[in-house]
Amino acid sequence: MTPARIWLRRNLFRTRFDSAVTVAVGLLVAYTLFRLVRFVLVTGRWEVVRVNLKLLLVGRYPNVHLPRVAVALVVAAAVGGVVAGMVRRHQAAAGTAEHRSQGLGRRAAGLLGRFWPVLVGIGLLLGLSGTAGPWLTAVGFIGAAVAGRIAGEHLPARLDPLLILVALATPFGLVAYVADGAGWEDWGGVLLNVFLALASMVLCFPLGVLAALGRRSTLPIVRGLSTIYIELLRGMPLFVLLLMANVALGFFVPPDLSPGKVVRAIVVFTLFTGAYLAEIVRGGLQSLPPGQEEAAKALGMSPVSTTFLIVLPQALRNVIPAQVGQLISLFKDTTLAGAAMGLFDLLDVGQVITRQGDFAGQRLTPEAYAFVALLFWLGSYTMSRESQRIERKLGVGER
Amino acid sequence: MTDQPAIVLEHVDKWFGTFQALKDVSLEVAEREVVVVIGPSGSGKSTLIRCINRLEEHDAGRIVVHGIELTQDLRDIQSVRRETGMVFQQFNLFPHLSVLDNITLAPRRVRHLPRKEAEAQATELLEQVRIPEQADKYPGQLSGGQQQRVAIARALAMRPKAMLFDEPTSALDPEMINEVLDSMKDLARGGMTMIVVTHEMGFAREVADRVVFMADGQIVEAGTPEHFFTDAQEPRTKLFLSQIL
Repeated sequence: MTPARIWLRRNLFRTRFDSAVTVAVGLLVAYTLFRLVRFVLVTGRWEVVRVNLKLLLVGRYPNVHLPRVAVALVVAAAVGGVVAGMVRRHQAAAGTAEHRSQGLGRRAAGLLGRFWPVLVGIGLLLGLSGTAGPWLTAVGFIGAAVAGRIAGEHLPARLDPLLILVALATPFGLVAYVADGAGWEDWGGVLLNVFLALASMVLCFPLGVLAALGRRSTLPIVRGLSTIYIELLRGMPLFVLLLMANVALGFFVPPDLSPGKVVRAIVVFTLFTGAYLAEIVRGGLQSLPPGQEEAAKALGMSPVSTTFLIVLPQALRNVIPAQVGQLISLFKDTTLAGAAMGLFDLLDVGQVITRQGDFAGQRLTPEAYAFVALLFWLGSYTMSRESQRIERKLGVGER
Repeated sequence: MTDQPAIVLEHVDKWFGTFQALKDVSLEVAEREVVVVIGPSGSGKSTLIRCINRLEEHDAGRIVVHGIELTQDLRDIQSVRRETGMVFQQFNLFPHLSVLDNITLAPRRVRHLPRKEAEAQATELLEQVRIPEQADKYPGQLSGGQQQRVAIARALAMRPKAMLFDEPTSALDPEMINEVLDSMKDLARGGMTMIVVTHEMGFAREVADRVVFMADGQIVEAGTPEHFFTDAQEPRTKLFLSQIL
């Protein structure tokens, strides 16, 4: 018998009952797949997505300024590439880099295996779009990422501080640049969801770490405030918080002083996710044996360097899966901002386009929702895979 | 060098809740002296040396280390810790750092030694504990005996005036105990002031200048190894020795 047949026998057809289950489940899967493929290729009326692609991606962002979004994407890819190359160079110097498989084909296969969700997303959008802009952007995006990666690996080490500064400043620069075309209060679609998610992630992470440390502090006031913050925010539904930020804030703050909806949404997402992250990080802190802190103390290290050099690096690494899970949750929860605050986010666009003009009354919601769900899945799945990669890399020497 | 003792404990009490771990403990350790502390588990041996670098805070009495009294003053505590190396039963190496980084971290952060100097010193210390080839590995890749020797090198990298050992061989497989004890003997011969909590009676006999026996949070008896192992006076000491020898 061939190995394949042995495997089949062992895993799928060991007993009569196994065989029956295998056949039944197989039929069910085959039927579902058939319906799915038929929906995607035959029965689905994707015109509604094709026509409204721009709305789904950037909302009502003005057409004349669309090149700004394209430029921002290309620059982000270039800077991301440079940083990745720089990290690679450091790993190579420290001898912790993964062994590089020699063949070009192997490397291409590896890259494909790593980035296929991104490539599927790009391919999908290009297939749906009828204009040249997205093609140019995609080519520029991939080209910039590759060029940046190569450049980053070969730049001299003395430029590193400069590169890090540039990398830190880039997001702010790009947001300002895109917001110069139309303020973020007028952003929509995927652009808005991604902006809400990224901005909140960047802000909630330090907040969560501080709150976690605060809750373990020996100072009663710090500990009390941290605990109150965490328990208060975790005790309320996100949707209610968003509604309150949308409506109730008006009672307390005069209208011309109150921040715009997008800023309010970011504040709510940051506070909410920060509270959850704090508990996750606290779990990580508790997973460390007390001997770690004692050893650092015994060496005369200050509490601050003990925390940042010994405790946090280990604690945060121990809870990467839970942290990333929370951040993925945050990314998907940005759809709530549309429903609770009337922001024109991806889900909201998806609902609006089925109700307007020629598409009204044609029951196109499955198509619209499927597209929305797919975009979120591609983003979330990429985050999940990259986090597993980071986990593997940081596990060096642990085993 | 003055005649001032390296470490002084005067009438030290320590409570954990309602349990008194140290009862009126007084001890003086001279410069270059090697003191071995033995006793049954729960007798306060570990608590005693953990009070000396303030991993535990004593509740009454005085502790003076190299002329600095341990009080609430954080700077005094930090300087005592800088001058006093500690080796733990569970090694407590930093698993996310390489061996070299484990050893150079505190000298660079606390003593502000330049990286080059710290690394040269670390290499020297690794040779001293006879594992120079392990510098680039991570703690998880080393055997217990090797890890404990790295821990000794890490403590020595701060150039301490005294070393505290808290059952340094108790977590080791038997065949690795001697490699660690050998490194400790080298240190003792080099004139390091040492307080060693251990169950290794051979080590106590060979290296100790003085053996201290503790039970129930008190120092029951102390003396030179010859005197202590052959001519113990107290019944508790005799009982303990009869159980382990």
